[in-house]
Amino acid sequence: MGNAFHSRIRSALADANLQLALDANAEKRIKVRQTAFESLSNPEQLRARAHNMREDVIEHLDVYLETFIARARKNGVIVHRAADAYQAINIVMEIASQKEAKLIAKSKTMVSEEIRLNPALEEHGFQVVETDLGEYIVQLRGEAPSHIITPAVHLRRQDVGKLFEEKLGLPYTEDISVMTNAARSTLRQVFLDADIGISGVNFGVAETGTLCVVTNEGNGRMVTTIPRTHIALMGIERMVPTMDDLALMLSLLPRSATGQKLSVYTSLLTSPRRMDDPDGPQERHIILIDNGRFEVRRSELSEILYCIRCGACLNACPVFREIGGHAYVGRNGMGSTYPGPVGSVISPALFGQCEFGHLARASSLCGACKEACPVEIDLPKLLLRVRAGIGVQAPRALAKPNTPKLLKLGVGIFTLAATSPKRFAVTQWLAGLFGSAATLFSKGDPWIRLPAFSGWGYSKDFPLPASKPFHDRYNTQANPIADEEHKLPVHGDTSTKSSPKKYDEDLLAKFSDELEALGGKFYSCSTNEVWHKILEILQVHDVKEILSWDVGTLPDRLLENLTEAGIQVVFPTSENIRTISHIRAGITGAFGAIAESGSIVILGGAGQPLTASLLPEIHIALLQEKDVFWQLSQVLNMGEIEQVAAAVLISGPSRTADIEMTLTIGVHGPGELHIICLKDG
Amino acid sequence: MPTTVQLFITCILDTLYPETGEAIVRVLERAGARVSYPPNQTCCGQPAFNAGLRAHARKMAIQTICAFEPYKGPVVVPSGSCAAMIRHSYTELFADDHKWLERALKLAQRTYEFSEFLVDILGVTDLGARFDGRMTYHSSCHLLRDLGVDRQPRTLLAGIHHAEFVELPNSTDCCGFGGFFSIEHPEISSAMMDRKIENIERSGASVVVSCDAGCITNINGGLHRKHKNQRAMHIADILDNV
Repeated sequence: MGNAFHSRIRSALADANLQLALDANAEKRIKVRQTAFESLSNPEQLRARAHNMREDVIEHLDVYLETFIARARKNGVIVHRAADAYQAINIVMEIASQKEAKLIAKSKTMVSEEIRLNPALEEHGFQVVETDLGEYIVQLRGEAPSHIITPAVHLRRQDVGKLFEEKLGLPYTEDISVMTNAARSTLRQVFLDADIGISGVNFGVAETGTLCVVTNEGNGRMVTTIPRTHIALMGIERMVPTMDDLALMLSLLPRSATGQKLSVYTSLLTSPRRMDDPDGPQERHIILIDNGRFEVRRSELSEILYCIRCGACLNACPVFREIGGHAYVGRNGMGSTYPGPVGSVISPALFGQCEFGHLARASSLCGACKEACPVEIDLPKLLLRVRAGIGVQAPRALAKPNTPKLLKLGVGIFTLAATSPKRFAVTQWLAGLFGSAATLFSKGDPWIRLPAFSGWGYSKDFPLPASKPFHDRYNTQANPIADEEHKLPVHGDTSTKSSPKKYDEDLLAKFSDELEALGGKFYSCSTNEVWHKILEILQVHDVKEILSWDVGTLPDRLLENLTEAGIQVVFPTSENIRTISHIRAGITGAFGAIAESGSIVILGGAGQPLTASLLPEIHIALLQEKDVFWQLSQVLNMGEIEQVAAAVLISGPSRTADIEMTLTIGVHGPGELHIICLKDG
Repeated sequence: MPTTVQLFITCILDTLYPETGEAIVRVLERAGARVSYPPNQTCCGQPAFNAGLRAHARKMAIQTICAFEPYKGPVVVPSGSCAAMIRHSYTELFADDHKWLERALKLAQRTYEFSEFLVDILGVTDLGARFDGRMTYHSSCHLLRDLGVDRQPRTLLAGIHHAEFVELPNSTDCCGFGGFFSIEHPEISSAMMDRKIENIERSGASVVVSCDAGCITNINGGLHRKHKNQRAMHIADILDNV
């Protein structure tokens, strides 16, 4: 076992602060995930479908990649392929040098952690700023994320308060909204000044070449919209074949990760800014990173590539709950980018059994990870394969177990005994003798206190073996004759799940309920009244200046009426963005809405700047009643989404829970979302 | 005519808890089964399998397959993890050995965990057992998640007379045993066990029932070290109390 690992385990267990943070994480995350899954009528069926889909993708990965690449190129995206971390870093570096970039804004990407991109860029003089609040915090601390979804899960508000005091000069506070605001204003300038935005990718849709990026804070939208160049980093396994498959994955990913029906922002990026587009990056690059994945695909650990990085297995894992993400280190002390059950398979698979194989031994194989996994990865099975040495480096026949020597010796002796009933009986007789003798010494107490170094004796006593084992006491003959032809029912869980109640209210009521549950506001009025409704909202907030979509995309006379009422209307573009970022409200249309998750869909394109729904504190969106649909898949399958450079699904105001999982509304995106539904179309 | 069951007593019960083994026989007989005990049984191989030592595990699995092959009828295993080993992990163990895989599958198809067999096959819910006091139930991981068995032991416990059943907080959390995990990572295992013991105390029960001797050894080992009065008991010992 790695000594580094062991000492990390000890210090994690001794860190009272960390223990509180991890307990809070597990309790909260398990609960919200459960609640979110209860809103699905057939979660088990969806998980099975998702598993089969991911299996198909990994099996035919080369075909899907080829289709994806061809489509993405046709869309105008610049596609790069990187065989390993070195190549991936070089590609980023080349783009950055060519653009003479100084400042790079990043949204969360685990694959960039995997290839250690930040240190490489910094070494070459680029300034890199992480913009996800949790990731920003760990970057300021000079740490790696300790969780796939909540990077600063190991910290409490006091830690962040002290950090911001030291690094940002913010007077010490334990008020999370004050800290979030400080990060918002610091990072707003970073988004505006950045030469390049780097993001990860949650899914790449093969049939359309679309990149799907989900975030809650809005930083993902910022880095993929504002800087002139966007570079997306994607592990090659993150393909889904169709928009339907994307809808399936989106029904599972946010629920598993954060207990949301949809994340606040689901960006669907198809191409760079087009000729008529008011905003968006001039260049969009995608770097498809292999870094060992094709090898893993050919191995008996290929199932780990189904992973969609939701972090549910970390939250469910009782071991992660005790030791946290930073304890998962290699033999030489190098951190495992992906911690928890999934990391204990990925790290040995990608970076070697020798360095990381021991992580798979730190599991009680309780199966909570498998149970939580939205794509039903059989993690215990894979952990056992890693223990047995089966993997990328060794096929089954050549596998070398990573069992500690002493344990191997013990199991060897036990196996020798257990492969012969006679030897087994002799062993038990010896154990019984020992038990009887020890009972004499212990004055009848049938327990023995083993020394702590035995492992067992560390915290518990061991029952003394019985003087006479069962097989000596129970001497009836075995009965070889079956009474009858046994027709046994097939075993398995016969319990049936009751299907949740169907929501039978009408579409619009469902939509407004869901929206308001997310913290959004819903209004309904006629087109003639809408300018008045908007004016009311603006007056409440004392707003005199707004960002807006082009006049042609909004109801007739709306902007004129607002202007006449003294509101100054500004049309945002990439060119004027630095001077308009302070404007507090934005008005946009909406392409459609999804009732089941309370989301609206906004398309970019001519006259429809995406920044109008992103930069201001208050976002007002106008929706036609007829454009409300029940399900995500209905909307994703409308061709319009892939026709535009970028589209976004918005589900409530921007939010974060990166500090102590305390929900804070209004991070980088709007803190208020008002949706006005126009009754007369 | 009564069903004859082939009892696989498991190495832990055989060596550490023979009285529980006897209780199992009595309970099965009271439920109307005839109990047969194939003599060549030792260990299913799970300890070696979980340790990563598959060559060793295969040898013990073969020993087990051969021990039960001559005896027809359902094989009853009073341990969730050993039953799961035979039902699920033998497939993994013999994945590239067709001859043994076929024989392993035959054994797997007729293997049942004890409480599952009583409820699903024999249709028993009330065995006339009694317990005066407050008890609770710990869901063993492999029983619950690998075999999907939870309703059955709970049904049996609901049929116990005079007992007051209380729910164990976080009853599905692992107790920290995990076989050799508890020896290789005693610190983590111990932290998990401490939570389990805290929850047992919070439940107010004097007895926590489980269907797996591994969990019982772990929980009781911790309770004994901490000088606590609560005890973990195998479900058969509770059902045997008439």
